[in-house]
Amino acid sequence: MFELTLQALYSGLLTGAYYALVALGLALVFGTMKIINLAHGELVLLAAYVAYTAESQWGLNPLASIPLALVLVGFVAVAVYLLVGRIKKDRELNSLILTFGIGIILTNFVLLVWSADIHSTTTTWFQEAVVVGDILYSSRSEVLFFLISIALVFATWWWLTRTWYGRAIRAVSSNRDAAMLMGVNPRQTEVLSFVVAGVLATVAGIAIYTGQVIQPSLGLALTIKAFIITVLAGMGSIPGVLLGAVLIGVIEALTVTYLSSSLQEFTGMVLFLVVLLLRPQGLFGFGARRG
Amino acid sequence: MRTNAVFPGLIVFVLYLAVPVAVGHIDYVMSLIIAALTIGGIAVAWALLGNLGGMVSFGHAAFFGVGSYVSALLTLDAGWPVFAAMLAGGAGAVIASVVTMPALRLRGPYFALAILAFAHIFRILATELESITHGAGGLLSIPVLPTVAGFDLGTKIGGYYVILTIVLLAMAGYAWLRQSTMGLALLAMHDTEDATRIVGVPSTRLKALMLVVSAFITGVVGAFNAHQINFLDPDYAFSGSWTVLPIVAAIFGGYRTISGPLVGALVIYLVDQLVFKEFLPHGHEIILGALLVAMIVLSPTGLVPLVMRMVTRGRHAQA
Repeated sequence: MFELTLQALYSGLLTGAYYALVALGLALVFGTMKIINLAHGELVLLAAYVAYTAESQWGLNPLASIPLALVLVGFVAVAVYLLVGRIKKDRELNSLILTFGIGIILTNFVLLVWSADIHSTTTTWFQEAVVVGDILYSSRSEVLFFLISIALVFATWWWLTRTWYGRAIRAVSSNRDAAMLMGVNPRQTEVLSFVVAGVLATVAGIAIYTGQVIQPSLGLALTIKAFIITVLAGMGSIPGVLLGAVLIGVIEALTVTYLSSSLQEFTGMVLFLVVLLLRPQGLFGFGARRG
Repeated sequence: MRTNAVFPGLIVFVLYLAVPVAVGHIDYVMSLIIAALTIGGIAVAWALLGNLGGMVSFGHAAFFGVGSYVSALLTLDAGWPVFAAMLAGGAGAVIASVVTMPALRLRGPYFALAILAFAHIFRILATELESITHGAGGLLSIPVLPTVAGFDLGTKIGGYYVILTIVLLAMAGYAWLRQSTMGLALLAMHDTEDATRIVGVPSTRLKALMLVVSAFITGVVGAFNAHQINFLDPDYAFSGSWTVLPIVAAIFGGYRTISGPLVGALVIYLVDQLVFKEFLPHGHEIILGALLVAMIVLSPTGLVPLVMRMVTRGRHAQA
């Protein structure tokens, strides 16, 4: 019983790390543009399928296909940005519907090109077991991408707080007009946030492809998960996103261990509802001012 | 002013008499039209919430599924008459919407995604609560619509009249709500919710009411569909299509007008089934997504206002 719990905590921690990458991208774009990109999960999906094609067609190692996936995902991310920029009226509502539509296009594009079959990496190196302390089991992919994800989250944090462009993003997030007066180009900053979100999504996509299985319906599920994590975290808190992601990962793993795998997403959503009811500003966030 | 009264009257006349006379004997065409009206009903409910409540929902499949399950189970397991069960289906969807109300504390994107999460929760519940819903195996031979005053509503033409009446009643209710003082307050909220609250409009209560009305309509439409198709399983009842198609229809037709969602549903559903599905049996939704994107970018107010603008411009040119 104890070992099962420990294993669930460990697996949840590993999954939580790449959830954090997806959620962080969603939160970054929300920060600068005040829109939720509902096609964000589909960016992850695209990266995963690029890795699949590169591996099955040209025998490319999934890690080596990251640059290739980056190009495609970056291109799509900028296209999303340009389309959102065309919206003139009712930006909040229309951007939601627009990115929802882009998500439908991308999911069905994947369905048309790669069919609904599930795929996973054929490079066995990723799936060999790593045993920690004789009791905790994981695959090489999970451990590798846990380390990469944590490093990326901290790199993003460092970038946002310590570099000029990172500060520009935070400045535009807190007050677009004031940032503009200080010489920040908000459009440039917005594109940048989309591209960084695309980079994080790409790495998450490769993590899923090497560690789990991919299928077209994954995109929307990931968007919802990322959104739930940002709600748990409270907007604007990177450590919060990481904690929220690990929390969701652990809760899902515990659910699969003790209840049923079909309830995996259910408990996360119930937690989300409880947080909404009791602490709408998020577990680690601060209340926002109205007006 | 006179055209405003004559024109809808003419359309209602065509819908009730001309359509059944013209194509009533072709079962396939009637099935398509009934399905299009079903989507239209959800689209009207979705647009009501979006236009009056200012809320985008990606979870109307939740209300649709709950309505269909409640009605199907009441007729199958409790022996309720079909029409009473359909109303109860609407009531069930209302209860489901009350469960989702904590989401009203969230604004804009938060609400939209919270309600999407709810749709998933309801689908999982329908699969897992086997003792009540019969689980993933689904429900078979759900009773058909009854015979009323010698007219068999279980036929295609009967079903057509029932769903047409439901959708038109929903549109009439929507039109009444929009011109009432509540509609005025909601319109003011659309511009600035905080200022409206300060002058004493109970904004959250009004939004909650719009959610309830929208859920009720969707639930009744879902219940109708259950008795029309006579089969349900969780994946079908809570399918994302019940959310996607109505949104595309409402946006395409114009979600800020009363008739736009229905017109959009008829056009989109029929074209989707007859044209897109022929070319792309799998993944034909890609075209729906593209339409959605194109409408938002090019004409976010939809097709109906666009056509009306062109008509009035033409009339001015003549005069």
